[in-house]
Amino acid sequence: MKIRRWLLLGLVWALGACLAPPSALAAGKVKITWWHAMSGSRLKVVEKIVKDFNASHPGIELTALYTGTYPETMTKYVAAYRSKTAPNLVQAYEVGTQQMLSSGAIIPVYKIPGMIGEKWDWAQYVIPITNYYSTDGNLWSMPFNSSTAMLYYNKDLFAKAGLNPDRPPTTWAEVESYGKKLLASGAVKNVMSFGWPGWMLEQQFAMHNQLFANNQNGRKGMATKVLFNGEFGVKVLETWTRLAKENIFLYGGAEYSANAAFQGGQIAMLLQSTSSLSGIEKGSSFRVGTGFLPRLEGYPRGNSVIGGASLWVTKGQSKEQLRAVWAFLKYLANTDVSVAWHKGTGYFPSVNAGVQELLGEGWFSKDQNYLTAFLQVLSGRRDTAAATGVRMGPFVQIRQLERTAIEKATSGQMSPKAALDEAAGKADRLLADFAQMNQ
Amino acid sequence: MTPRQVKASASHAALIALVVVIAFPVFYALIVSTLTFRQTYVYPPRLYPGTELWNNVVEAWNRIDMGRLFFVTTVISVGAAVVKIVLSLMAAFAYTHFRFRGRALLFPMTMVTQMLPLPVRILPTYELMADFHWVNTYSGLMFPFFASTTGILLFRQFFLTVPRDMPDAARVDGAGPLRYFWDILVPVSRTNIAALFVIEFIFMWSQYLWPLIVTNTADMRVVQIGLKMLIATDQISPAWNVIMAGTIVSMLPPLVVLIAFRKSFAEGIAMQTAK
Amino acid sequence: MENVVEEEKFPGHPLLPYLLILPSVAVIVVFLVYPFLQSVQESFFATTAFGTKSVFVGLRNYGRLFTSPDFRASALATLLFAAFVMVVGLSVSLAVAHLLNQKLRGRGFYQIALIWTYALSPAVAGAIWALMFAPATGFVPYVVAKLSGGYLMNWMTSGNLALLVVSAAATWKMLGYNIVFFLAGLQNIPEEFVDAARVDGAGPWRTFWDITFPMLSPTTTFLLFVNMIYAFFQVFGLIDIMTQGGPGDATNILIYKLYRDAFLYLDTGAASAESVIVFIVISVAAVIQLTFATRKAIYAR
Repeated sequence: MKIRRWLLLGLVWALGACLAPPSALAAGKVKITWWHAMSGSRLKVVEKIVKDFNASHPGIELTALYTGTYPETMTKYVAAYRSKTAPNLVQAYEVGTQQMLSSGAIIPVYKIPGMIGEKWDWAQYVIPITNYYSTDGNLWSMPFNSSTAMLYYNKDLFAKAGLNPDRPPTTWAEVESYGKKLLASGAVKNVMSFGWPGWMLEQQFAMHNQLFANNQNGRKGMATKVLFNGEFGVKVLETWTRLAKENIFLYGGAEYSANAAFQGGQIAMLLQSTSSLSGIEKGSSFRVGTGFLPRLEGYPRGNSVIGGASLWVTKGQSKEQLRAVWAFLKYLANTDVSVAWHKGTGYFPSVNAGVQELLGEGWFSKDQNYLTAFLQVLSGRRDTAAATGVRMGPFVQIRQLERTAIEKATSGQMSPKAALDEAAGKADRLLADFAQMNQ
Repeated sequence: MTPRQVKASASHAALIALVVVIAFPVFYALIVSTLTFRQTYVYPPRLYPGTELWNNVVEAWNRIDMGRLFFVTTVISVGAAVVKIVLSLMAAFAYTHFRFRGRALLFPMTMVTQMLPLPVRILPTYELMADFHWVNTYSGLMFPFFASTTGILLFRQFFLTVPRDMPDAARVDGAGPLRYFWDILVPVSRTNIAALFVIEFIFMWSQYLWPLIVTNTADMRVVQIGLKMLIATDQISPAWNVIMAGTIVSMLPPLVVLIAFRKSFAEGIAMQTAK
Repeated sequence: MENVVEEEKFPGHPLLPYLLILPSVAVIVVFLVYPFLQSVQESFFATTAFGTKSVFVGLRNYGRLFTSPDFRASALATLLFAAFVMVVGLSVSLAVAHLLNQKLRGRGFYQIALIWTYALSPAVAGAIWALMFAPATGFVPYVVAKLSGGYLMNWMTSGNLALLVVSAAATWKMLGYNIVFFLAGLQNIPEEFVDAARVDGAGPWRTFWDITFPMLSPTTTFLLFVNMIYAFFQVFGLIDIMTQGGPGDATNILIYKLYRDAFLYLDTGAASAESVIVFIVISVAAVIQLTFATRKAIYAR
């Protein structure tokens, strides 16, 4: 009868699927795999880079796999490493740096040239970026996609409120006075929002040369205590809370969810990653201006922090594979590859030659906003741990705690000091556990 | 009007209202899927359709390679559903037509497995897949789902209502148990099989967490994860028009299955609840 | 459910039943039980993310969870969420099924038009409700603002609102399923009982409470159990699409917290302990439901 035939067919179908062999790979080349988290338009740029690399390196076959978001890629990498199926190269986000350093799963990149009998000029890379990923002056992972944060603002709304559309606010006090004018003009109900609230808090610390955690921001030894509930942190959060009460600051959720309100003209200012620039310019029907992140008056100068991710090399590869991986890493340092990467994604070129090329060809005069991004990160001091950014093992979790503290304070649920203290208590416990397990 | 007619009209009115309210979210999604990107961000939000449905569908289809998504998801939904059905039929047959040691463990076993859904064992199951080299394969996607306690209970219930003389007659005719199973019992269970197929197909089509963990590459991705990727558009605001177009297209296969098999589905359920 | 004694229909095949149940049992043991036991084992250890070091810590993971306000908040959110899905879901579905259980024209159409939400996945339901409630552009905040004179309904900043919206979305998706089962259950109630009550002069409410509802108790119990499992375990996609546990952990129900701890924070020990706790909670709830149901069923008879 019919039903039995369907059942049999279904069984054959399932069996076929289960027994289908995985696709065969090309023979005769050195095969390396790279797991990354570049989605959307960035994926296309990555694919082009990989294609060009494979074409110019006939003995190598590099396969790049998009393995999900940064956390998903990290998780898959961990699981793969534990089952001995890890890829040769992986992109790990900046908050995963300490995890990767403590993992025992990677080879620091500074060692690789020596292992295969080559030499390499480490000075060709952009310093604030290499500082982030270095320990004791040695680079452990290869810079790849770095961004920082900056201020975006709606020039049209500024004009409507009687503000100079070419003068963005530079301090939080100015944000407040501009904000009051914007609210008075009736153009918006709220003035400013953030993407990545936790990151914005860390930015404020680095920009004012304040340490976020002990042991030199976790760079001279593992961080065991956070310092964000100290006087500076409380001052920052109190400022934001006051702005929230005045309806100037509107909490916009995590990551990129605040972009919608900015693009829809419901807020006039946005603190967000520089990598959002092209998307925002494309998707907004108004003139977009950019400026540096607002500062608190009376505190020293530091630098804005690098965000994004870097490339890590897995341990235990054959020499041929290591050579192939290194060939790819060298390829990424080519000026034209670096420049194309920036133009396609908005991330900084990781080599100085790339920056110079862009300056030389007048790239920035076409769109001043791209220059803001560069100046934001290249114009600060680079010699202190505070200005380089914090490094913590359980960074992902601590960033969540920061965000919760910001939420609770700005919504009036808790006082800024209490919210930060609560987060700091939990963070310290996490740091202690991590240090204990990973020493 | 007679009181009965009044009651009937009132019932109709209430039912229509319910249909509208329940359908509203999807209706709204459908409207949004016909708009342009800018139009989805107008305020006040519009409730009348635009003209971009086809463009949005094509855009969504291409952005996440829906053809491939549909293929993979159909393979695992049909494959796992059928294997579950067959395994459940076999197990239910054993439990109702035979006496053997260990039979008393059936019920506790099925209850316990109901309480061991994926989240309570997700990491070790993933590592198991890695050990079997089944990560990012159809086997990895399907195997953990091959046992269906719902199915075993459903068929067991049904087999208990089978008249006693049916297997007796088969035995007298010289048929062995497998013959009886395949030639008589399975065809008679048609309705329940269809009902279970609907349930399991929809269940597999909706799977999210497991495919998220166990597949790595675009060519093994399932529809639900494709949707997630469509929504998580990183640095730009979500393109609701394209997202909704994609969402609606992804709803269609399970809807079609439910509607096509609705009679068997309803009957199968009715049989289950009858005591 | 008692084990009815079935007769041996085909004597002389001692091995066959074992062979028949072997595939199912094998899958269950290998893919369900064994990994769970591993979870139990891992819950007593603290492990580094990359598995390089594993330290036995006894009950520390459990102790930490019970004293952690985050875990308690997550448990509370889960209970509220599950209670909403179960109570509101079943009440509404029962009312609809009752309405549907009449000899009306177009009944087939109504049936389809009311159960189709069952075919949607939790992720799809989440996407659609996220659209409807999107603070800047969604339809519902707009209506609410109009009706209330400007109140901006922003579920990204209000934890309670987020939990409510998420619960509503999850319940909406299950309505179809519940209605189908209730309708079947209602149709199985012999008409004579209802007619007898009416003859006795009982109004529709009394008939419902005294006759219909008790006779539905097997279906109700079954649906309570299914909805509980659904609310605890199957809504991951919905939460991931809508709120990712936010704002500020308001919708960080246990299954999502488990995912975060396991996959974002790479804390295997805590995640495993959570798995075990959830398992125990569900098992206890299931046992309670079953004994309660059996007693009620006996009483109803």
